[in-house]
Amino acid sequence: MSDNIIAVMLGISTALGAFGLFALIWGIKTGQFDDVNKFLDGARFDGEDELKDAVMMEKKKQEALKRKKEREKNYMPND
Amino acid sequence: MAKVACSHCKLEFDESVMIKKEVNGKECYFCCKGCEGVYELLNSKNLESFYERLGNNKLEPVETKFDDLERFDAPGFYQKYVKTTKEGFKEINLIIEGIHCSACVWLNEKVLHQTPGVIEAVLNYSNHKAKVIWDDDEIKLSKIIETIRAIGYNAYPYDPAIQEEKAKKLRNEYYTRILVAIFATMNIMWIAIAEYTGYFTGMEQSKKNILNIAEFVLATPTLFYSGWIFFRGAYYGLKNRFINMDFLVSAGALLTYLYSIWAMVTHKGEVYFDSVTMIITFVLVGKYLEILSKRQAVDVLDKIIGSTPTELMVITSEGKKLTPIENIEIGSTIELKAGDKVVIDGVLKNGSASFEMSALTGESEPVVKEAGDEILSGSIVLDSKIEYLTTKKANESLLFTINELLSDAVTKKPHIEQLANKISGYFSVIILSIALLTFIGWYFWLGVSFEKALIISISVIVIACPCALGLATPMATLVGISRLAKEGIVFKEARNLETMAKATLLALDKTGTLTQGKPQVVNFIKLKEFDASILYTLSKLSKHPISQGVAKFLQERFSNLKELEANEVKELRAKGVVATINDKRVLGGNLALMQEFNIQIEHKSSNSLYIVAIENEVVAIFELRDTIKANAKEFITSIKKLGIKVAMLTGDKKEVALNVAKELNIEEVYYELLPQDKAALIEKFHQKKEIVVMAGDGINDSIALAKSDIAIAMGSGADVALEVSDVVLLNNSLHSLKHAFILSKKVFHTIKENLALSLLYNSITIPLAVLGFVIPLVAALAMSLSSLIVVGNSFRIFKYKIKD
Repeated sequence: MSDNIIAVMLGISTALGAFGLFALIWGIKTGQFDDVNKFLDGARFDGEDELKDAVMMEKKKQEALKRKKEREKNYMPND
Repeated sequence: MAKVACSHCKLEFDESVMIKKEVNGKECYFCCKGCEGVYELLNSKNLESFYERLGNNKLEPVETKFDDLERFDAPGFYQKYVKTTKEGFKEINLIIEGIHCSACVWLNEKVLHQTPGVIEAVLNYSNHKAKVIWDDDEIKLSKIIETIRAIGYNAYPYDPAIQEEKAKKLRNEYYTRILVAIFATMNIMWIAIAEYTGYFTGMEQSKKNILNIAEFVLATPTLFYSGWIFFRGAYYGLKNRFINMDFLVSAGALLTYLYSIWAMVTHKGEVYFDSVTMIITFVLVGKYLEILSKRQAVDVLDKIIGSTPTELMVITSEGKKLTPIENIEIGSTIELKAGDKVVIDGVLKNGSASFEMSALTGESEPVVKEAGDEILSGSIVLDSKIEYLTTKKANESLLFTINELLSDAVTKKPHIEQLANKISGYFSVIILSIALLTFIGWYFWLGVSFEKALIISISVIVIACPCALGLATPMATLVGISRLAKEGIVFKEARNLETMAKATLLALDKTGTLTQGKPQVVNFIKLKEFDASILYTLSKLSKHPISQGVAKFLQERFSNLKELEANEVKELRAKGVVATINDKRVLGGNLALMQEFNIQIEHKSSNSLYIVAIENEVVAIFELRDTIKANAKEFITSIKKLGIKVAMLTGDKKEVALNVAKELNIEEVYYELLPQDKAALIEKFHQKKEIVVMAGDGINDSIALAKSDIAIAMGSGADVALEVSDVVLLNNSLHSLKHAFILSKKVFHTIKENLALSLLYNSITIPLAVLGFVIPLVAALAMSLSSLIVVGNSFRIFKYKIKD
């Protein structure tokens, strides 16, 4: 076996493993495993509605941020 | 009559008492106005699918009356519970009450999501805690709480800055570090196998280089990310001028790592990256096992504080006024309704009322107070509207003091130093000096090459690797904990096992721990023939523990009991119940009740009495007493045999306490104790250098529990007691308490064995390493072997037989 092939195989397999590891760590850090019950129920119940809900919340947050900025811009101290 | 289920909460009631109504063309029944309101609200918001998700689950009927909404918008409240996020939104942590199933979680989240101004709402099903982020310019917190209440739940704020969150964060941190370490170790292992094979069969340098580099890539994050904990620990140790095991681990791993890099670059010698990751992973897993079950914080305590009213009705010359409790001065007159909790200590002004004081004394029997009697905060008014004068300010009152003491005691728990920690300090210093001397000896005295001398001294460190030492305690306690869990004894933290094994004194609560906690019929005198169903119906009319004790007795004694219809039911405070059953006037109560109705009866007894008279004729007398648990005496004897002193602490009266103590052969008895007195006693025991195990079940025991070295809650105990405890007995039996003592002693014995084994292993291998007979490869293998021996020895706890 040539050295290059060994190097490539080692590199790719380690990288793949590392990718999985990082995905898992990301999941833990963002609290996706904090609530076991919800995690499992998600698989049972979550559907289109929940997705729409999530998008709606995202939009709501952005709008609220925008409004907040505007308020701050228009804020004039009493003189 | 037919029973139908409430359309909202799904509880079943008689059709006649239900509210019948048509909603959206469907015929619905409701058990109360609250349920009706929620059902209509959900229908109007298109959230009916909640009921599909609910499945067969049942809810609690909706409570409707709340009048404390303003307090959520008070600046003081904001300061205490509300945080501001980076983006300028507000954030609060809430405990949601009334969550029964995943549908409840779904509904709460959904409704909050639909509320304008709410940016984020996440509810945890496991612990019922919610994090809500909202835009304070758009919606007020009181409105959010109102929304949650409108759908039939209730919310309490809690402060997440307490240890539970910290402990969770710590667990998560360790967990990620271990994941990285294990991933790297597993991958290095199979590369190392190739390397070792190459070592014996010959391998081209170019291939070896590739494998070396791969190992280097994997070992680096393990050492610096996963192993960071050891570097940090070593640093703090050095700062406080002592060398700990962390120092040995980090020094050993770092030296091996640096040497391996040097070997990799210069192509001289072998690399030992596998040893680096092995050391880190093994010891890190040991550490993780220790912190895995760290004490849960006081969730329930949060709830108690969160539900304490912040305002009280104060009567002044100008009339009644709701006043924040902080502003209530000493000498104010306060009005309380039946069911209210006393928040400020005081003296009853007029009339009389009975109080439920189980939170303070642990006794479930209500106490009657007359005008002029002292009222303590923490008790609950049971039956009448009262006025009383305050004698203290809110923050000096008993309830507040208890809360303070409790949260204090939880954070300042005594620490018994562990055997392994004591040993590892000396061990580290000795090993490092031996390694240094070895290097000096070989290099300067025997004059071998620098490289050779370095390899030998590194092999000393690697072979002395404290893996076995690090695993000795956690492995034994882990096996011990799972063995104990099988017997229904749950230890919340591993190192408690060692503390329990060293215990010298067992402090016991009386009610509920040594006794049944509920009065039971010990004597039954039948004077005339009677229909047992009448008595049963009568005893069922009152929630008083005596009455319930009688009901239970009747259930066991007679068959074919029916609950008859009772009319004109009247409960006379501290006396008994009068009712008309089967057109006969029936009385049930104590001697005072009989006197009031001019019924002549003479009966003397030290027990509580329940006398039943039908149409002014006494038919039966029941004597009740809180009986001692069946195996209590035998338990006390066997605990004493283990060399542990026994003391009884109780809030009960002197005679009762002494009686029970005499029956059980307990010499040390303390009686008529309030919660803080119990805690003070524990302190006193500590001053006498006792290691105290405390077993109890009530809120009144909780401070004492929190103060003791090991707190044991009996399974049926109050939530607070469960939370502050280190050990929970699921089957609530004294038998398992005894097993807890015996098994923890066994575990401690195993820990000592493990430590001895790992030290023995070191005393054989280190001399060999110093003399240069051991190459690091063999050292790495021997290291794993010693760890395996320790693990194997620990598993023997599973097979250990307890002699009864």
